[in-house]
Amino acid sequence: MASSTEDDRWRRLVEECFRREAGSQVSIPDPMQDLIESGVLDSMGWVSLLRALESASGVSDLGALLTQRAASFGSIFQAFQEAQADKPASTSDFSQMRQTFTRIPAIIASSSAAVGSRTIPSEDVDWAFGMQPGKLRLRAGIESLAYAAEGENELTLGARAAQESLHAAACGAQELDWIIATSETHHGYPSLASQLHSQLLARETCGALDVGGACLGLLNGFSVAQALLSGGQARTIMVVTSDVHSHIFKPGSVAGELGGLFGDGASAFLLRTVRTTATRHAYALGQFFFGCAGQYAGAIRVAPGQDGSLEAHFDGEALSRAAITRLEKVVREAELRSGIARSSLQGLATHQPNPRLIKLLAKQLGLPQSKFPIVAQTCGNLGSSTCGAALDALLHSAQSAQAEGHRPIFMASLGPGLLFGGGWLVST
Amino acid sequence: MTKLLITEITRMGPAFCVIGLQREGKKIRSVRPVSATANSWLHFPFHRGDVLHCELAPFSGAKPHIEDRVSTSGFQKESAVSEPEIVAYLRKAEIADSLSGLFDCSLHENKNGSGLFAMPLQAKRSVCGTQTRNLRLELCANELRATLALSSGEVLRDLPVVDRDWRNFIEAALSEGRGANRVARLERFLNSQFHYKILSCPHHFIRLGLTRPYHDLCWLMLDTLFPLPKHEWLEEF
Repeated sequence: MASSTEDDRWRRLVEECFRREAGSQVSIPDPMQDLIESGVLDSMGWVSLLRALESASGVSDLGALLTQRAASFGSIFQAFQEAQADKPASTSDFSQMRQTFTRIPAIIASSSAAVGSRTIPSEDVDWAFGMQPGKLRLRAGIESLAYAAEGENELTLGARAAQESLHAAACGAQELDWIIATSETHHGYPSLASQLHSQLLARETCGALDVGGACLGLLNGFSVAQALLSGGQARTIMVVTSDVHSHIFKPGSVAGELGGLFGDGASAFLLRTVRTTATRHAYALGQFFFGCAGQYAGAIRVAPGQDGSLEAHFDGEALSRAAITRLEKVVREAELRSGIARSSLQGLATHQPNPRLIKLLAKQLGLPQSKFPIVAQTCGNLGSSTCGAALDALLHSAQSAQAEGHRPIFMASLGPGLLFGGGWLVST
Repeated sequence: MTKLLITEITRMGPAFCVIGLQREGKKIRSVRPVSATANSWLHFPFHRGDVLHCELAPFSGAKPHIEDRVSTSGFQKESAVSEPEIVAYLRKAEIADSLSGLFDCSLHENKNGSGLFAMPLQAKRSVCGTQTRNLRLELCANELRATLALSSGEVLRDLPVVDRDWRNFIEAALSEGRGANRVARLERFLNSQFHYKILSCPHHFIRLGLTRPYHDLCWLMLDTLFPLPKHEWLEEF
């Protein structure tokens, strides 16, 4: 039940928006008067009034709530009350707020991944970068790379993954409250999140946010999305990763030992609160933790040179050692924090610098390699999308399994710095 | 005698507005037959793709509706063309790929709510075709609205959908005989299968129009959306 203060606020909002739409000389109608039938507003004016109210009140689905109802003030007030009843109670008490946070888990309602359309054998990449044929296959374990075809870029791959994710959940783009994007290769403006906003046709009051972190970007994005969902500030969020390395790491601009490792891909995850999802056996985000191991900061540095070229410093051996050590540490930390034994996992969605390192990581952790979905072996290192593609594969494998097959998933990733982060997902 | 290919039939309250294509030499341009007494038709028993014979006289209508022609005789159907053929002809008529090119004028945003409008004296025409990068339909309080991205990347929001066939389809989807949860089922269709059906169709195309001046402003509408809805799609949701 809405309080009288809220009733007053809505009444003021409705009357103010109505005056703006109909003109200040038009008198405030009776609550039950149908504004269209009585000719006070035409249908365009009615929709315009509702859009203004959606924006001013934060009730983004007001128009949807009013379908098959009279075009009256009374219907609007009723819809506001229903929307209010659906929201978590606001509170100024911190302990209650914490309870609210833990009460509303963020659910992955659907996911999708997309990779560049061109599949290039790694030997061709060896040749293009002037390396010995077979080097990528033998030293890194990469069999092929997914490269963007003509016309493909961060926007098209990201939008494709996001659209498929929306379709899978039968969710309209107008339902999105936020689009959170991350990419280690998109540096232009408008930002990737804002371009995705336009491409997906999200509603104007849907926020668009870009987060950094390079290969750690997906976990950063999940963490931000989780806070928005748990805090009741959003109900539906699309988290998108998209990386097109082949446009940047070209032969001649960087060494093959670095540039040859990377492919192009994207992933998308539709996150919702339990309250609004009907997905059975969905995964909920658990906790995330992050940090920065600065002692490895020098292992990889990529920066634009003064002449417009790309200056890349890459100490492969040091980075490999750091990656293995840190990923193992993050997995152990996730195990400790969650109380979930690694042996009971559905799988691990980790960053995959290269397949050889993942083989090594599996060995160090005493896990079969099958717990790590194959991404880098066939597509190359996809940057922030590696973790995304791996998680998408695990979610789909869980979906096709029986209910008891929905075991927890660990996530672990790294970014230059050396940033690290981890977390877990549990079946609901 | 004029030969007119009917490309648009739009709903305007209880009446219909009709637009067709007429060949003039090598050019194909849009023509809007109106009666001597009204801008719309209360009864129009023809369909899109019908090729009609009629007598059309020039008409000095108010800008920007320069396509208006007074029909001085009845319509006689000569033949009909398929949906892909209609679109092929529409692609040869007025077309633009950016917001400013649609009506060769600036378009303005409604600062109080939703919608876009043109100033009547600035717009050079009242109908134009365009390609879309993306498009979605949405029910907003009983009203069908379209939001779309042009190939230029510019986004147009909350355009009223006045296409007769699409409006009829939505009404059929919500008719009482279709059982429970009709709105939710329709929304689910619009959010999922609709997108595939429309954007993967090789003859996907839209035409945008301007309303007659209303309080001195002409508002943008989605006049027509190809492909047209199929009755059997109702069985899918």
